[in-house]
Amino acid sequence: MIGTLIRRETLDNLMTFRFAAAVFIMLLLVVANTFVLITDYERRLASHNEAVKMHQRQLQEKITYSAGAVRVDRPPNPLSIFNVGFDKRLGNEVRISHGSVPSLWDANMHESANPFMDMFASMDIVFIFEVILSLLALIFAYNAFAGEYESGTLRLVLTHAIGRGEILVAKYISAMLCLIVPLLMSLLLATILLTTSASISLNNNDFLRIGGIIFTSIAYLSVFYLIGLLISAATRRTSTALMSSMFIWGFLVLVYPNVILTVTPRPEAPDALRTSAFNQIESIWDTFDRERKHYLATDDFPGEDWGYELKGWGSRGAYFLDNARTLSYTYRSTMDFEGFGEEDEPKMPHAQKHFGFLGAQTIDAADRTWLIRKPTLEEIFIQPANMERIWLKLSPVGLYDAATQAWAGTDLLGIRDFFHDARQYRQSVISYFYDNKVFESRQWFSGDKGAADWSGLPQFSFQRDDININAKRAIPDVCLLLMINVVLFIIIFLIFVKSEV
Amino acid sequence: MIWHITKRELYDNLNSLRFALTTVLLLGLMLTNAVMHLREHPKQLQNYRDTVVRHENRLESSAADSLYKLAEQGPGRLPKKPSPLRFCAEGGETFLPDNVEGGFGRWGMDDLESFWILAYPPITPNLRNISPDVIKVDWGFIIGYVLSLVALLFTFDAISGERERGTLRLMLANSVPRHTALIGKLLGTLISITIPFALSVLLNLLVISTANDVHLSTEAWGRLGIIFLIALLYMCLFLALGLLVSARVQRSAVSLVILLLVWVVFVVSMPNTLASIVGGLSSPMSSDEFYERSWQLKRESEAEFFSRWFEEPKDSTKRIELGGAYVAKDAEAQQRLHEELLKQQISQMSRVRAVIRISPVTIVQHLLESFAGTGFERHLQFLENVQSYAQQYRTFIADTDQADPESLHIYGIRKGMSQKPVSPEAIPKFEDTLDLSKDFNTAATELALLTLFVVVLLSGAYLAFVRVEV
Repeated sequence: MIGTLIRRETLDNLMTFRFAAAVFIMLLLVVANTFVLITDYERRLASHNEAVKMHQRQLQEKITYSAGAVRVDRPPNPLSIFNVGFDKRLGNEVRISHGSVPSLWDANMHESANPFMDMFASMDIVFIFEVILSLLALIFAYNAFAGEYESGTLRLVLTHAIGRGEILVAKYISAMLCLIVPLLMSLLLATILLTTSASISLNNNDFLRIGGIIFTSIAYLSVFYLIGLLISAATRRTSTALMSSMFIWGFLVLVYPNVILTVTPRPEAPDALRTSAFNQIESIWDTFDRERKHYLATDDFPGEDWGYELKGWGSRGAYFLDNARTLSYTYRSTMDFEGFGEEDEPKMPHAQKHFGFLGAQTIDAADRTWLIRKPTLEEIFIQPANMERIWLKLSPVGLYDAATQAWAGTDLLGIRDFFHDARQYRQSVISYFYDNKVFESRQWFSGDKGAADWSGLPQFSFQRDDININAKRAIPDVCLLLMINVVLFIIIFLIFVKSEV
Repeated sequence: MIWHITKRELYDNLNSLRFALTTVLLLGLMLTNAVMHLREHPKQLQNYRDTVVRHENRLESSAADSLYKLAEQGPGRLPKKPSPLRFCAEGGETFLPDNVEGGFGRWGMDDLESFWILAYPPITPNLRNISPDVIKVDWGFIIGYVLSLVALLFTFDAISGERERGTLRLMLANSVPRHTALIGKLLGTLISITIPFALSVLLNLLVISTANDVHLSTEAWGRLGIIFLIALLYMCLFLALGLLVSARVQRSAVSLVILLLVWVVFVVSMPNTLASIVGGLSSPMSSDEFYERSWQLKRESEAEFFSRWFEEPKDSTKRIELGGAYVAKDAEAQQRLHEELLKQQISQMSRVRAVIRISPVTIVQHLLESFAGTGFERHLQFLENVQSYAQQYRTFIADTDQADPESLHIYGIRKGMSQKPVSPEAIPKFEDTLDLSKDFNTAATELALLTLFVVVLLSGAYLAFVRVEV
């Protein structure tokens, strides 16, 4: 019996204008936007490759270790086509130096695009689904019960020996079958387009991630279909059901995500915390500076000049860099000399010993700074943002967005992985420096006897996390979506069972 | 007769669920908008005032030193005046810089210092912003998205619904011309949406005008009136669209599906997609290329300067002249480069803005921006103001230098210019202005385009309704 019902319902849905329109519009929008997004991704990738090359070149040009700035770049994520998240927004280039531990707040943006163009939001595929899938689901659902009440067919069906639960299940399954068709078709087309592009290479894990996105999309679709069914069962009149579902759609999709953050009290970052952390950091560097001066005053070489009065030619500079807002603090000393006089040679061992001491001290101070900085940054930046995200997740749209971002790896955690890798890379650079005695070497400040050798430096490559980690981040939100589904289904069942026909 | 139909429509609508929901939705949104504006506007004003004070202090301290100092340091950061009507149209202001940098030291050596130039630093507000991405709820959003959707929800069954119920036949049985019936319906729905919209606008303005920090002038009220009328015109566009589809289609459910899909395509998807497509057609200079060229220019003029400088005897006037010429030439070349980059960026943006006007929501947002004094066109106006001020400032320096008999009149170097302090009152100060007449000019095309859309859709609706078989 239930088979017959499903067949009838499916046929009913398939033959409608709304189904044809749904398929057409989804394909049109998804294909058009995928083209645009792929071009955009290719442009960003080219810009990234350019940046990597440029940074390599700039590094190779430096003849001393102290003048070289090692920079690492974050490649664009190919799955940002599905949900762009933070991929285009947050910094994608960070400097690796022994004097500071890199974090999200030290990064820069390397981009070739016109800054004015940032005004336009990018329409990723998930955004299209967010808007259109929910709309279609409601359009399919609004007359599921209300229409049958009105036309009296429900009474007819119920005269047969069939449970109400079965009718509900049949309606749900058949409508979902029809709704999944345009979803899968458009995603399939998008994936085909992705694989035809030469610059995008997707591996097995990426296909699993796309699978995760598809599953989440289906859960999202089902939530809106059930919302529509609920309204339809509760109102019993098609016109009322239609109006209510449209306004609920407008509220959930259009209004709530944009309004909620301005309405809720903005969690202000405690200024006292920031100031006290900054003071602690400042005192670390004060101690560092005192020790540095103490060393210069007490070492075997007379005078307190950190450059040891070397008379070569080139540039030198030493300064503290700090930013109280992002709690960054560092000491940079660069000396980029070539060609020394005869009288400089006896000074060399002293200078080398000093730079060896300074390097170790700077690393130590930077590491201690990070110990204070990390929890404070967490508290003043990450936690307020997480609060805001929780508010957004009160709507299924927010849940869907968060889950797909996690699958695609463009969420905040995914971006922070890059900085985590950058920190590890800094460690390996430092151990390379220690192993090769770079700080004590003559090449640290002078290029006259052979330039700095950058070729031995460990290579940086950022690998996106394993699919398991993406899944772990996405699962809570997906589960919440599924739970909403179950709750809605139970409520509809209760209403439907109790209703009089 | 027309009034009779209008009245009937009005009563029908006033009792309906959609009317109640619309009222609640619009009131809530407008209230949010007002609260947000009250929270943010004082900060923007304070920021503007601080920058103005810094600008004036900088001029004063330079003037107290010497004319040379004024010529070298420049006027400093020049702020953009925030519009009091920013709550009407945010216009992407978050992505537009609120100042132009007029003077920062680029280089310096023995007795030469780089001269100021106008630089246009880009802003990347999102670089460290880890909050979720949201659209600002301004009037542009409320009118452009919400009001258009509401207009469609009010009209999708205007004709098809009556046909389904059979009341259309009844109405046309009277001696009512069809166009009268159509206009009556249009007016009825227009009025019934205008009521909650006007209410929410009033509430919004009430909240905003009661606050002490925000002061709306008479001119601002005039602009608000125009914005309200534009919103009505825009609403007519969607009402006409709704009537057109409703007249052509047999069933109201189908009519709604078509209307919603048209709405999604034209309002939600089209502006951004078209912007990416058109933006991709041209690519302005990248920041790396820019820095490279800037560096190249600097190196070239430096090399040329030194090669000639060493040939001249020490302490000769020739050396002073060479130094001055070097500084002036460097500033001019860098200024040209900055302007070139800006021009390329602006032309790309203008092209994009011209094309995305196919979408009615963009038209109305552009219109709102130009009357609210925000957005890209306003930014261009600000840049123009800044550039004409820079001209004025340079002329002032040249004239004052000419007036000093002790000066050697060699621009660009301390020894060659007037070293006397300047009276701070005499220096031109920068003040950003908002000009309404210019706004009308930029808005005229868009207003015409919007009216054209409305007329076309209305006549379409008329033709469709005339041919309807009841």
